Amino acid sequence: MMAVLRILLAVGMAFGVLAPAGRVIAADAKPLNIVFVNPGKTGEVYWDMVAQTMQAAGRKLNANVEVLTSERNYRTMQELGLGVVARPDKPDFLILSNEESAAVPILEAAEAAGVKTLLLSNTLIGEDAVRLGPPRRTLKNWLGDITTDLTTAGARMANALIGAARNEKWQSPDGKIHLLGIGGDEITPASIARNAGLQLAVAAAPDVVVDRMLFANWTQSEAEQVAANYLSWAQRKGIRPAGIWAGNDPMALGALKAVAAAGITPGESIQVVGLNWSEDALREIKAGRLLLTDGGHFLLGGWSIVLLRDYADGCDFAAGSPHVEVKTSAITRDNLGSVAGLIKSRAFDRIDFARFRAKPGRCGQHDFSVDTLISSLSPPSSAGE
Amino acid sequence: MMRHGDGMNGPTKPAPSRSVVRAMIWATVPVLLLVQLLASAGVEVSSFWSQIRQLDARIARVAESRAELIAEPLWKMRYDQVTGVLNEVMHDETIVAAAVYDDTGAVIARVVARPSVQALTEVSRPVAYSNGNIAVQAGRIVIAYSYATLYADTGSRLGLLLVVGLLGTLATMIAMRISANIFIGRPLAAMMSAIQRSKQDGRAYPADVKSSNEFGQLASAFNAMQHTTSGALDRLGHMASHDPLTGLPNRRSLSERLVTLSRDAGSPDALIAFCFIDLDDFKGVNDTFGHDAGDKFLVHISERLRGMVEWEDWVARLGGDEFVVIRPEVSNEAAAQVFARQLLEAISAPILLHDKQVVPRASIGLAVRRAGDPELSHLPALADIALYHAKSKAPGTVAVLDEALQRDYRRRRDLELAIPAGFSERQFEVWYQSQVDMMTQDVIGLEALIRWRHPEHGVISPGEFLPLIERSGNNARLTRYVLTDACRALQQLATAGRPQIRIAINLPPSELADHSFAAELRETCERFGIAASSLELEITEGSLINNIASASDTLRRLRRLGATIALDDFGTGYSSLAHLRRFPLDKVKIDKAFIHEIPDSAEDKAIVGVIASLAGTLGLTLVAEGIERAEQARAMREMGVRLGQGFLYHRPQPLDAVLRGLAEAGAGEERVLADSPSIAPEFAA
Repeated sequence: MMAVLRILLAVGMAFGVLAPAGRVIAADAKPLNIVFVNPGKTGEVYWDMVAQTMQAAGRKLNANVEVLTSERNYRTMQELGLGVVARPDKPDFLILSNEESAAVPILEAAEAAGVKTLLLSNTLIGEDAVRLGPPRRTLKNWLGDITTDLTTAGARMANALIGAARNEKWQSPDGKIHLLGIGGDEITPASIARNAGLQLAVAAAPDVVVDRMLFANWTQSEAEQVAANYLSWAQRKGIRPAGIWAGNDPMALGALKAVAAAGITPGESIQVVGLNWSEDALREIKAGRLLLTDGGHFLLGGWSIVLLRDYADGCDFAAGSPHVEVKTSAITRDNLGSVAGLIKSRAFDRIDFARFRAKPGRCGQHDFSVDTLISSLSPPSSAGE
Repeated sequence: MMRHGDGMNGPTKPAPSRSVVRAMIWATVPVLLLVQLLASAGVEVSSFWSQIRQLDARIARVAESRAELIAEPLWKMRYDQVTGVLNEVMHDETIVAAAVYDDTGAVIARVVARPSVQALTEVSRPVAYSNGNIAVQAGRIVIAYSYATLYADTGSRLGLLLVVGLLGTLATMIAMRISANIFIGRPLAAMMSAIQRSKQDGRAYPADVKSSNEFGQLASAFNAMQHTTSGALDRLGHMASHDPLTGLPNRRSLSERLVTLSRDAGSPDALIAFCFIDLDDFKGVNDTFGHDAGDKFLVHISERLRGMVEWEDWVARLGGDEFVVIRPEVSNEAAAQVFARQLLEAISAPILLHDKQVVPRASIGLAVRRAGDPELSHLPALADIALYHAKSKAPGTVAVLDEALQRDYRRRRDLELAIPAGFSERQFEVWYQSQVDMMTQDVIGLEALIRWRHPEHGVISPGEFLPLIERSGNNARLTRYVLTDACRALQQLATAGRPQIRIAINLPPSELADHSFAAELRETCERFGIAASSLELEITEGSLINNIASASDTLRRLRRLGATIALDDFGTGYSSLAHLRRFPLDKVKIDKAFIHEIPDSAEDKAIVGVIASLAGTLGLTLVAEGIERAEQARAMREMGVRLGQGFLYHRPQPLDAVLRGLAEAGAGEERVLADSPSIAPEFAA
């Protein structure tokens, strides 16, 4: 395993060193200094992968990406951000994530210090959005934000459940398809968006009803608990549960456990969907127990570097919109093979980020789809496969 | 207050206050206790009910608030959170159990604090969940709770209230007892003590109560009343022993004074002068000037007596017109007489009544005795003897009690006591004195005259015993005695062939007033078979005046019977010519006083002459009394007075002698000497 990793790393490094050389077209571009204040914790899969794709992209696009980790402490996050802004040799760009609206002070400080900023994953919301307006108006140095279209993701997941249930005719005695929704929380925009996707999809399907929208704090165990409660309730209620929509993969895995504990066979009598492209989810998909996992939004890290590279090279992504929204993609048993390895090995250097840069004259237009991604992948090192 | 009625209890005995205070305590304390207990129990019960309601409301609120809290976790199937919320409910110790059911009725969470055997109350509330999209009933929360704590709390509070109530009542009782003793018992005891002491010696003892409350006022009123009562008692005592009119000590004081006289005297040999003063003719003053003037008169006299005497002397009014002056020490009897005469002089100063001068006159009986005399208490009686003498013998003088007076007194008393025996043993004898026709010397009538032949004292003159007869109320008896004797004499006269001779009897004033006398006379005459016309009744002017109407009525009845009416002693009394005309008279007897000086006194002759001519005019027969000498008889004859009576003709003599004399008819000049007293006997007061 270690040997494989070492080989992968060696290959990657060789590839990375070679890549810029290969793409000499942009060789005149000056190197960029980019600092990313990571709101997450070390070991937190999503944020780790964001940072990793960011760094991988940096290597491909001549940008030095410095990652500072807040360890899920927003005060730490603010101290880190403000420290960066106060540096004598300021970076070219500062990437922040406005989780819990904690990035606003940093954003304002950067504005004052003349450091250009990009918000990733979480942008300004509510009062801050009203007060500060769109990017580059009040805060001239706030270039924009790059987020994921999680509503569509949520809807896609729901539709997959509905389609499967309809095929299998998993209607309850009342003639309706009964689903359970398990959300992470009710306040963060990321959660609200994907939940809204579920509601949208169900609203469009009159034969479907979400019995409950339960919240499990993104965790597997709580999801298992509430799912078990739901299943028990549904049984008392005489309901035949057709599917469980989980806001992320851990909760989907928890739901799977509860389903199994209830004596129901996932994939056969009930379908469960998750989101995040997590390794465990991919394994369950492979095992036929999980219908799909949507996601890929950890690639926002890489995409953000792409946008900044374009911007630094004079192709402003804001030509389209300062709000760059990236669609996610579902991994099912069908496309599982292509990305499973990438995810599993986190060999993000296999991604040719340069391919995702805007074509000349079409600034701000990027194709960040999973198909493009798959096609951009260089084959894994023979040793890795 | 003195419930036991024995005023002999010690004056400080607190019995009266105890009963009042105890009664007050018994009357108030149970009521107080009852009211207190009822009130506090009522408050407690109402508080209990309100606590029950509060508990119900609180548990309902708990259920509602918990329902709100668990709505979301229940709906969102976070059953652990539901249980957590439910567990928090159990901090409330009245809650015994709580459960949450979901919309299928399944128990989602259940917590039981302790198994309870007591009846539980349940409150159930729906758990409503809503968000922007839906509003559903996610389930139901049921809380079972118990009133046990409330019951226990209320019970212990009731117990506490009972104890507090009892303690409060006890304290109230003690406070009442103490304050009642101070504010009621003590002043009452003080007043009782004052009453007890006052009872013992009759003097006023103020109750020592200082407070200014009602009892203080009562005590001061009581003290004032006691003072008034004691003053009234003093006045009553004074009145009992003093004459209200003059303010002098009265008869009762005299008896007390007599008791202390010898004791107060300096030595047993000290001479005590006792003056018994009687005003002469006080009745006349009253009649003439009225009783108010009479009272004024008495007050004047008393003031004079008081002004006369020394400080050691003692003046009293015994009643009516009787006064007493005692001088506790005189040097001798002569000095006492001087003192008495001084008193008389003082009394005799003229007094102005109704603008008319009245000269008071009084008689004094004086008795002087040694202080050591054992008969000192008889002083008033002794002085009265002297006074009797003075009044009867010499009004307006001082009579000193001596052996002679005492002897007279004893004789009078003996005679008075002997009167009944005198009647029963026929000691009274009727003698007869003839009335003679001075022309013919014929006896034409007899006057019955009474004599008392006493076995010890011998023959007693009517002048001495008639007042005693009158005073002892025997006038009527004596009159009938004489009448009967006279009737018997008339029988004998008739037998002796001298029926024309009439007998005159003296009629005292009391008989003249007696309406039945005329009837009795007739009856007596019938009994003896004699004619009433044989009787002549002699009356005096005084008896006419005293009762004019009654007297003239009796006289008319007697005249109708045929009796002759003669006016006796004419000329000595009022000698009213009007009387001669007004009363039915037949005969007038000229008093011997006018006869005595005749024929020497020209005045008397003139008077008799006038009377004779008047009698002739009025058709009255005249009788001259006291004819003792022949020239008197001659003078009478000359003046036209034909009838005479006197020693010249006959002395009074027993009937036998009279009859014998008559038998010797023709020997009319013969004198019969009687051994009777020399004084002319008169049947008149």
